Amino acid sequence: MSIKSRIDRVDLRPFRFWFQLLAFVFLVYGGHLAVDLGNSLPTFSCGYNSQGTAGVCYLLPLQHQLAQPWERLFSPAGMAVLGGFGLFILWFVVLNKAWCGYICPLGTIQDWITGLRKRIGIPYSNYSDDHFNKLKVIKYFLLLALIFIPLAIGGQFISHDWGVPFCKICPARMIIPAFNGDFSQWTIDFSSNTKMVLTALGMFIVGLFLVGSFVKKRFFCFFCPMSAFHFIFSKLSILKLKKDGSKCTVCGDCYRVCDMQIKPIADDVKSVDILKDDCILCLKCVAACPEEGALKVDVLGKTIFEATRGGFSKRMGMEKNDD
Amino acid sequence: MTIETEQREIEDSQQKHIRHQGMEAMQVLDVIEKDFSDNPEAMQYFYDLFRDVYCNGIKPHPGKEMIGTMCVQVPDEIIHAAGGIPVRMCNGFYTDEEAGGEFMPAKSCSLVKASLGMLKSKTNPYSEGIKTIVNPTTCDQKKKSAGMMREMGYKIYDMELPPVKESEIGREYWRRSVRLFTKEVGKITGKKVTRKGLKETIRKIGRAQNAYHRLNEARKLTPLPFLGKDMFVVTNAFFFDDLERWTLATEKLADEIDKRVENKYNTAGKRSPRIVFTGSPPVFPNLKVPLMIEQSDAVIVADETCSSNRLLNDMVSVDEWFMYDMVDAVADRYLKSCTCPIFTMNDDRIRRLIELVRSSNADGVIYQAFAGCGVYEMEQRSVAKAMEKEGIPMLYIETDYSPSQGGQLSTRIEAFVESLKARSRRK
Repeated sequence: MSIKSRIDRVDLRPFRFWFQLLAFVFLVYGGHLAVDLGNSLPTFSCGYNSQGTAGVCYLLPLQHQLAQPWERLFSPAGMAVLGGFGLFILWFVVLNKAWCGYICPLGTIQDWITGLRKRIGIPYSNYSDDHFNKLKVIKYFLLLALIFIPLAIGGQFISHDWGVPFCKICPARMIIPAFNGDFSQWTIDFSSNTKMVLTALGMFIVGLFLVGSFVKKRFFCFFCPMSAFHFIFSKLSILKLKKDGSKCTVCGDCYRVCDMQIKPIADDVKSVDILKDDCILCLKCVAACPEEGALKVDVLGKTIFEATRGGFSKRMGMEKNDD
Repeated sequence: MTIETEQREIEDSQQKHIRHQGMEAMQVLDVIEKDFSDNPEAMQYFYDLFRDVYCNGIKPHPGKEMIGTMCVQVPDEIIHAAGGIPVRMCNGFYTDEEAGGEFMPAKSCSLVKASLGMLKSKTNPYSEGIKTIVNPTTCDQKKKSAGMMREMGYKIYDMELPPVKESEIGREYWRRSVRLFTKEVGKITGKKVTRKGLKETIRKIGRAQNAYHRLNEARKLTPLPFLGKDMFVVTNAFFFDDLERWTLATEKLADEIDKRVENKYNTAGKRSPRIVFTGSPPVFPNLKVPLMIEQSDAVIVADETCSSNRLLNDMVSVDEWFMYDMVDAVADRYLKSCTCPIFTMNDDRIRRLIELVRSSNADGVIYQAFAGCGVYEMEQRSVAKAMEKEGIPMLYIETDYSPSQGGQLSTRIEAFVESLKARSRRK
C-alpha cells in the first residue's frame, strides 16, 4: 500500500488528539524550557501565561502597538507594527486555519470538554440556521473593536483603562495561565469603572466558555476575532481545503460532523477553495466524506490528504472483517 | 375401449395468478441467464435466489415478520436494529399490474399498480409475513396507494418526508420523522432500537454498500468485466434477501469481478456503446429495457435509479456513536443526497448523471419513464436540456409493464445504439 493511501486511511481522531496534546504542552509549558517563538503567533497562546508560554498570541502585542500615541504610530518608529504583522502572516500561511483545529490551546481545551460530554453521552446542541447567520458576524465586530479601541486610545479619545480590550474579555487570559497554577488573572479589577466592567465581563465569558463548550462543540471559536483575522488572509496560505463539486453527492456527511456547522461544505458544489470563515481546518469533513476525491487538502498544490471510500469505511468500521 | 381422460383440477384465480407470475419470472430469468454467454459464476447465487422465490415457491424469511417499505427512503438500518426485516414493496410483475389496475386511474404508474395488485392478491412470496407497510410520503401515487393498502387490511405507517431537501427546515422535519419512526418501529417489532443494535446495523449496511461499490467501481472500467443486467439482479435481490447472506454473495461476486479486471476480461463487444441508465426503476422481472439495451450490443455501465444506485450509493457517517447522533446520521443519508424526482429541485440528479457519464466513460444516457409516472415524465425536459448542453446523447423511453410493446421499443433502442456507434466512429 502506498504512503498516500495509508495517509488517506488514517484514523483522524487519535492523530488529532495527540497532535493537539503535544501542541498544547509545547505552547503552554514550553517557556519553562526557554522556548520562545516570539510575539506574533496566529493562535491563542496566551501572553498572560508569562511563566510557561512558548510564544505569544499576536492579538496581545497588536493591541499594545496600536495604542501608541499617534505621533509615534504614524512615524517611522511605528513601522515596528508592520514587522510584527509580517511575522504573523509568515506563521499563518504555513498552516492556514489549521492553527485553530490542531494547535490553538483554547480550541484544544474545548475539544477536551467535548470529549468529556461524549463520555457521559449527552447530546450536543447546534444553532438554528437563523441564529447561526446572526451570531457569526460577532467575531468581525470583535476584530474591529480590538483594532479601533486601541487606536482611539492612541489618539487620546478614550482613556488607557480601555487598553488591550479584547484580552480583558478573552477566556484564555484566565484559563491558560491556570494550567501553570497561576490564578492571578481570576480577579475583577476595581481600579476604574471601565476596567471593572471589562474584567467582570471577562469573568462572565469564562463561565460562558466552560458551559458553552460543554453544550456546543467549539462554542467559542464561532466568536473568535482571530478566526475572522485569519480568514482575511486565508487565500495567501499554502495549505488549502479543496472541493470537487462534480464528485459531491450533497449527502451532507461532512456538514453533520462539522464542529462549526458549516453548511456550504456540503451544499456548495461550485467553489473549489471551500474554506469558510468559521472553518478550523480540523479536517473531520475530509475524513467523513465517502466520495473519492470530493474533498482534499493541498499543500502548495500537492494533495496530502484526500477523501476516499476505503478510508471512510475504515474509520466508520464498515470494512469486511476477515473472519 | 375406454377413453382415459386426464383429470385436471380446475385452478382458482389465485393459483392461476401464481402460475402466471412464475411463468413471467421464469421467462425473464431464462433470458438473463441463458441469452448471455459470460455470466460470472458467483451470479448463480442471485439467479437461484430469484428462481427459488418467484418460480419454486420458496419463501424468504419463513416464519418471520417482515416490514414492507414503499420507497427507498425508509431507513433499513433502523428496521434491522429493531429486529425487523425490511422488504421493498416495489413490484415489477405484469401479472400483478393487471390485478392492481382496478385501484388506479388508467394512466398511472405500472409500478404502483403492480404493488397494489401484489398486496391485494396476496400471491407474492412475502404476503404471509407482512402486516405493516412503511409509507414515506414521496410521490402522489405512492401516497394514495398506501391508503388503499390500508383498506386491504395492512397496517400503514406514514413516514413524513419533506418535498424540499435543501432547506434546514426540510432536514429537521425529516430528522423528526426518523426519530419518531425509531421509537415506533420498536412497538411494531416488539424490540426496542438500542445504541448497540443500531451501531451494528449501520456498520452491517455500510459493509453491504461497500460490496456494492466494489462492483459499481469495476463496471466503470474498460474492458467491462460484467454486464449491467447482472447489477440490476444483484441490487434487486437487496429488496428482500437476508442482509448478511446478500453481502457475502456480493463480496464473493466482487472478488470474481476483481479477478476478471486483473485478466482484462471483456464482456462488451468491440464497439459496444456504454450506457448510463436512469429514470423509473427497473424492478424484477420488469428488466425489459435494460435487457433490450444489452441485447442490442450496448452495455449499461452505470445507473441512477432507486432500484440500484440510489438504493446503495450514499453511506451513513456518524460522529458520536450515540443514539442522538446515529439516528440523525441515518436520517441525513436518506434525504440530503436522495436524487428522487419527487423533490422540488433536480439539480443533484442532473449532476449525478453527468458525473456518472464522465467517470464511467459513457457514450449516452437512456432515460426510462413509466407512462403515468408524472415525476419522471416531468423531469425529462430538464434532464434532456442539461444533457444536450453537456453534449451527451440521450434516449427517452416511455414504457410500462405490458409485454406488447416489445418490437417498437427494441427498434428505438437499436437505432439509438447504432447512432452512438456512428458517433464514436466519427470522433
